[in-house]
Amino acid sequence: MEAEPHPTRNPSARRGLDRRALLSAAVGGGALALPGLARPRPARADRATRRVVVVAFAGGVRSRDTLGAEGSVPFLEEMASEGVLYTRVRTANLGHFGASLSILTGVAEPRGIRENARGPSPTLFEYVRKDLGLPPGEAWIATSGGTQQTNFSHGVHPDYGARYGANTLDGDGLFNAEFRDMIASYGRPRSVEGRERELLAQMRASLGGGEGAGAAEAAAQLEEYVLGELARGTADIRGANAADAKALRVARNLVAIFRPTLTGVVLQQADVAHGSFNAYLEVVRRNDAALGELWNAVRADPELAATTAFVVVPEFGRDADLNARRGLDHGDGSDDLNYVSAVCWGPDFRSGTIVREEVGVVDVCPTVCDLLGAQARHTRGRRLPRLYA
Amino acid sequence: MNAMPAARPARSPEPAARAGPGLARSAPPRPGRAQGDDGRTRADPARPLDARRLRAGFQDLLGRPPTLAERAEWSGRGLHELLDAHLGGEEAWRHWFEEQLYYFLLVDNFEPGSERVRAIPADLARGALDVRQALHRVAISPAFDRRNPGPDTFVSVVLEQLCGITVQKQPGELEIGKHVYDGGEGRFLGKLASSQADLVRVAVEDPAFARTLVAREHLRLLRAEPERKDLAAWSRAVHRDPAEFPGILRGWYLSEAWEQRLDLRVSPPNRLFVRSLFVDLVDRLPSEEETRRMRGALDGLSDPGPLRSVLARLLIDSGQAPVPAREDIEDPTAWIAGLFERLLGREASPEELRAFAVAFRDPACRPETVLVALCSHPEYQRF
Repeated sequence: MEAEPHPTRNPSARRGLDRRALLSAAVGGGALALPGLARPRPARADRATRRVVVVAFAGGVRSRDTLGAEGSVPFLEEMASEGVLYTRVRTANLGHFGASLSILTGVAEPRGIRENARGPSPTLFEYVRKDLGLPPGEAWIATSGGTQQTNFSHGVHPDYGARYGANTLDGDGLFNAEFRDMIASYGRPRSVEGRERELLAQMRASLGGGEGAGAAEAAAQLEEYVLGELARGTADIRGANAADAKALRVARNLVAIFRPTLTGVVLQQADVAHGSFNAYLEVVRRNDAALGELWNAVRADPELAATTAFVVVPEFGRDADLNARRGLDHGDGSDDLNYVSAVCWGPDFRSGTIVREEVGVVDVCPTVCDLLGAQARHTRGRRLPRLYA
Repeated sequence: MNAMPAARPARSPEPAARAGPGLARSAPPRPGRAQGDDGRTRADPARPLDARRLRAGFQDLLGRPPTLAERAEWSGRGLHELLDAHLGGEEAWRHWFEEQLYYFLLVDNFEPGSERVRAIPADLARGALDVRQALHRVAISPAFDRRNPGPDTFVSVVLEQLCGITVQKQPGELEIGKHVYDGGEGRFLGKLASSQADLVRVAVEDPAFARTLVAREHLRLLRAEPERKDLAAWSRAVHRDPAEFPGILRGWYLSEAWEQRLDLRVSPPNRLFVRSLFVDLVDRLPSEEETRRMRGALDGLSDPGPLRSVLARLLIDSGQAPVPAREDIEDPTAWIAGLFERLLGREASPEELRAFAVAFRDPACRPETVLVALCSHPEYQRF
């Protein structure tokens, strides 16, 4: 099937934050140390893309409620109009956990809906970190679904695994007012410096089995970031999509501060649809706005804008018809459930292009790996067609 | 049901039978005994609670390490005595119940709030409930329904979590279950069902329920898959009479497999880490609120290690931890050796002891620095 130009859309003026405002907001809680942040080495000389943001616009979101309903998701529409829109992306109804994982691994394997364990296949974070030799600070994933979603950071494949995984931050679990207040009630931990620090290191070293210098540095970086983020406004985000919005806010700050090679975001709250169609639409609308904040932060920074690509895709859709509670389940086997839309935007991609050929959510992993110069050796997907300019 | 030859070992040969006379369960003093004779043997127990077994035993059984008073009470006694005292008690069932809630991901916003569900540990402890009835009660709770909304999700989770069935491999059961969920009639797992409650009842009465429960509990406690033959026997026993389950647990604790588990140290669940941190540093359990907030934050990280270290430092520096003043520590080496046993569940090697003692002699090293060194180390974060 041929790619065709996107119907005329009138991209709105770029809204949102300028870089100064963003950085001011991002570091407003205190100075943030960025120890030893290695820059990603150029992945492919023939590509401008140096960073990728993958957003699993998950929780079960139908195309007809997003890009199929003009004006409902203005940022996603604008992104699609400037990039490539895939209108027929095959999904697997594996439950939210398994289906979202399939985006990251490129393998659609059954996983228990409430299974709280890592998958057997490597994730795109592992492929990219291993093949490009990237340190831990170059791959992050922000989630909204709690403990289960921390399993997205890496799988258990013997050639990959934790040593190549992403730092996972669950926005709502970490950055909430209760935890922030509790930390404040204890007071910040006393900093250990000078001679005491040396003695501490000596004692820890005598215990053996310790981590290497790189891991210790990464841990210090994460600690500093978490304490800093608690002092920013993320913990105060409220509303119908609070957990998703926190995940997107965390991603925005990560991209602005650490500029990692790979940033993943996995949303979840659209699943409120089971009980209320209207609440679902509200979550989708708000998530689009939060996604817009993240995207605008990238576009407002010349370096990021020139080197960052986005891939946005739900893990699956929802039923065609309302249930008895005037909500939407996911299990009817309809095209509304099985096919979603995906948007790719970035410096190496075509602009204003629609691809109607059937592709799959499992194609995201090999596409991102290829874009950055890594090889997704165990994926069952293929590179997305008609993507590059 | 047939005899279950392998289930009997699970009920464990009594330690007395295994280790010779004089190691029977502790008994209350009997009339006619000499004053001071509490009836206990003075022989060494078969599985004495050394630092390692004591810490791991409490953590596995109660989800926390022993307090200082409990250390004094239990050190050197037999593991079987600890089981006599706690296995089947309310605190042990509360720990088991919380592990089950985690298994079903009924945490945070989905934590069951109904009195009936919250009463499960107490009901188990007084024998008013068995494990099958307990999990049935969980699965018919509003929290379970809210966590798993809609027919597809609900039936999938019932099949997967209760019966260990991969729904993609048995799409027929899923379709029947969805029909039943919506009020239709159907033969679900071979039995007639016509409501959402029927789905749960049929699932927990299926032999696959007992097999799934035993397999996952074995993996949780012993960190190994059970042998197929043993699994079959234990599953038959639990399916026939779920009240057998505590006896099977007891057998596991007293088996070689649990001894081997002591060498397989893994990162503890965050809920266990938070409780351990409080008991180790403050000698009390955290409040529910403290547990929930800390655990929730830690659960938000794929690698909670760095944040665990932060929380340890927070607690140590908060003034809540009763850390002795430097001048009150008369014998630093003995104090440090005691910390190794209490916090790491093992003796310090001579090299470690020397390194810590040398460091502590430096005026820049505070007692808190020693605690931070131990509690922020990866070894403390394994159990």
